[in-house]
Amino acid sequence: MKTLWFAQIAAILQLEMRKTFLSRRGLWVYLLALFPLIPFAGHSIESTIRGRPCDFGHDTNVYASIFQLLDLRVVVFFGCLGIFMNLFRGEVLDRSLHYYFLAPVRREILVVGKYLAGLIAAVTIFTTSTILQWIAMYAHFPSRTVLDYLNDGNGWSHLIAYAVTTVFACIGYGSLFLLTGALFRNPIFPAAGILIWEGINSFLPSILQKFSVIYYLKSLVPIDAQPNLEAPFALLTVNTDPVPAVVAIVGMLAFTLLVIVIAALQVRRMEINYGTD
Amino acid sequence: MSADSQNIVFDNVSKFYGDVLGVNRVTLTIPPGITSLVGPNGSGKTTLMNLMTGLLQPTRGTIGVLGVSPNHPEQLFRQLGYCTQFDSFPRGFTGYQFVYSFLRLYGCTHAEAEEFTWAAIERVKLVEAAHRKIAGYSKGMRQRIKLAQSTCHGPSVLVLDEPLNGLDPLVRAEVIALLRSLAEEGMHIIISSHVLHEVDMISDQVVLLSNGYVIAEGKIRGVRGELDEQPMQVMIRCGKPASLAAKVFEHDSVVEARMHSDGKGLLVKTRDPDKFYLLLNQLALNGIGLESVVPADDDVNSLYEYLIGGEEPAR
Amino acid sequence: MAVHKRSYRAYEGALTPRWSRFLILTRYAAKGVFQSRIITGLFVISFFYPLLMIAGLYLNHNTQVLSMLKLASDQILVINGTFFLVLMTVQAAFAFLMTAFIGPNMIAPDLANNALPLYFCRPLSRTEYVTGRACVIFFVLSFITWIPGLLIFAIEGTLSGPAWAWDHRNFAFGIFIGSVLWLLLLTLIALAISAWVRWKLIAGALLLAVMFASSGFATAVNEILRVKAGFYLDPANLIAAIWARFFDVPIHTEMSITGAYAGIAVICGFCVLLLSRKIRAFEVVK
Repeated sequence: MKTLWFAQIAAILQLEMRKTFLSRRGLWVYLLALFPLIPFAGHSIESTIRGRPCDFGHDTNVYASIFQLLDLRVVVFFGCLGIFMNLFRGEVLDRSLHYYFLAPVRREILVVGKYLAGLIAAVTIFTTSTILQWIAMYAHFPSRTVLDYLNDGNGWSHLIAYAVTTVFACIGYGSLFLLTGALFRNPIFPAAGILIWEGINSFLPSILQKFSVIYYLKSLVPIDAQPNLEAPFALLTVNTDPVPAVVAIVGMLAFTLLVIVIAALQVRRMEINYGTD
Repeated sequence: MSADSQNIVFDNVSKFYGDVLGVNRVTLTIPPGITSLVGPNGSGKTTLMNLMTGLLQPTRGTIGVLGVSPNHPEQLFRQLGYCTQFDSFPRGFTGYQFVYSFLRLYGCTHAEAEEFTWAAIERVKLVEAAHRKIAGYSKGMRQRIKLAQSTCHGPSVLVLDEPLNGLDPLVRAEVIALLRSLAEEGMHIIISSHVLHEVDMISDQVVLLSNGYVIAEGKIRGVRGELDEQPMQVMIRCGKPASLAAKVFEHDSVVEARMHSDGKGLLVKTRDPDKFYLLLNQLALNGIGLESVVPADDDVNSLYEYLIGGEEPAR
Repeated sequence: MAVHKRSYRAYEGALTPRWSRFLILTRYAAKGVFQSRIITGLFVISFFYPLLMIAGLYLNHNTQVLSMLKLASDQILVINGTFFLVLMTVQAAFAFLMTAFIGPNMIAPDLANNALPLYFCRPLSRTEYVTGRACVIFFVLSFITWIPGLLIFAIEGTLSGPAWAWDHRNFAFGIFIGSVLWLLLLTLIALAISAWVRWKLIAGALLLAVMFASSGFATAVNEILRVKAGFYLDPANLIAAIWARFFDVPIHTEMSITGAYAGIAVICGFCVLLLSRKIRAFEVVK
């Protein structure tokens, strides 16, 4: 039985990849992931051409700020919104969900398979983007400086931490949007609500801050940014009440498991009635 | 083996979409062979099909498909294939990819899936177009690729929602022949169709639906025989229809006799077909020349007219 | 079969004037907008702030209340450019949210259901179709942007006297023209997204993404490249610069007004180009 489940999950992964992520339809995810690379690459190219010396510490700080502000809150948020919300709602809008329901696949396996497909795609694309941005940020520095940072400084641990934070951002936002896609006929309303909630998270009381994904992600970021950003943006990157990384990781994994169970229960009861959508 | 494990059974099944009735108190047993669901738009044909395949949950009642509940898709869809009415496909797929990809969900290996895919595509004669995108297919081709996808895993129950929709006459004949051959192998085939003369041609039994209720079910002739309030119509071709009319009117069971427009036929309505046929035998023996005697309303079209045609439109 | 009975007669009554025929689309599309309780609720909520401001204006000029609270007339609300700028900003935010919910329903469903050939096989041009759809968004958003804005201006003008209204007539122009520019921008972006993304669900998310992503991207460009030119990439900043000029409020972006107008023109032009590519009576399948 387990062999069959794994084979079915593999088949679902293959289906999703072919349908979405390896087709023209998935182009927007790649564009979204790569567009933050533009200013970093531009900065490196401009500094190299002009021979303008940059401050390593300042650039590290800028990267930390932009990672929180742009990568987590915009790129990964909207990327996961588009990827995971479409896993079921998109099939309903395309009127192709019934093909999955008419296959000898348990609906729970279908949910797991689709979630994994979205997660693998999101993690691969956005983590690659994070790493490329990191490389682009430091590309114009002398290799000696970069190697010192990597080997003698905290370079590797910072890079790994950024990658891990991106992974958990995909996990956290992915499960949240999988759930909204399964529960709501028009998930854009709850998505807008989540966007606002995540946006005002920094201004909320401590107890309410814990009910958000970004709160735990900020605890995983390796550097507390010292932002030079404008006032409202600066507040978005400050972490006034961090939790230990272990708590953040375990919490998000537990949350993801809970969400998948709820989504599976919802999909199990789902009916095909395209006329109302 | 219990009867339920060989049939498709609906037991007091109702389905409501909020306040709107889908089907109400449907109790049916569908045996092997070709069963047609016939009824006007909105009568509940697709609802019944979606219920038996688990795409809808019944509000009340239970359903069993060869002893398997639709709540167990992992068992049910190994033996059931459903060709739905939805003319939509996963985007960007070719015909081959469409059949192959969903076949892999059955746990088939690549080699098995490829073999079954090509077999199904060959059966519906789409080999040349298999590697073209479905979005570029004609309506008939889309219908055929759906048929291929629903039959590729060799099901023993086939549910087809208007399968002949959009097919040209040649392909229709081929599909009908295919369905007949599958039924002869012992498959359950459930079809919904509006093309009543084709339903007549291919069906072993018929289920008539109207406004969410089952109006009649069974073999076509059996259903017709139970409609006592509708006198049986018999078309008789003979050389002297007027003389024949005078003779048959002597019989109490004959309620109407109408001359055919070409003057060589007589359409008789009788309340007692068996006695009437005996009468015809006697008349023939007494020298009245009869060229042919054919029931004129012993088909689905007439059943539809009698049982459903006089009612208000469903919705 | 011979036709022996001709009972069909073509319609010979009055026709809708040619110039206003596109409003038929607007009328039917508008009916669907307020069927959503969330959209209706958001529409109602968007009037709270203007109503609050109107109450504030009244209190500002009510000598009894002022003497009870021991306040001078300009201490409840200071009616200056900043006041109107804040009002415009708040209403613009609601307008943006409304667009995110209304905009996707305009074109995406027609594309998804292959309805465009049905429209264009009738005497309806592509421009009329887009205009008809745009008018829905424009009219609905007008009710929460420049209409309450001008109403507040009129009330303040009435309470403070015609001299005040004349001296601050640039505020009225700013409210109207600034709102129209923002509505035009939102409408075109929403329609372009709705035309390019067949699913209205994704279109709504994409509209949110475009606005937030452009803002974040603009900040990122400024921070990383240590420039101020990034603000030209953010439609919200472009509009803010124009409004700040109308209301004589200093702005941190140091953006030139010509540049702001040019930026808006480029965005609008790009959206029109996207619409002209997608709004066709046929579909090419590759």
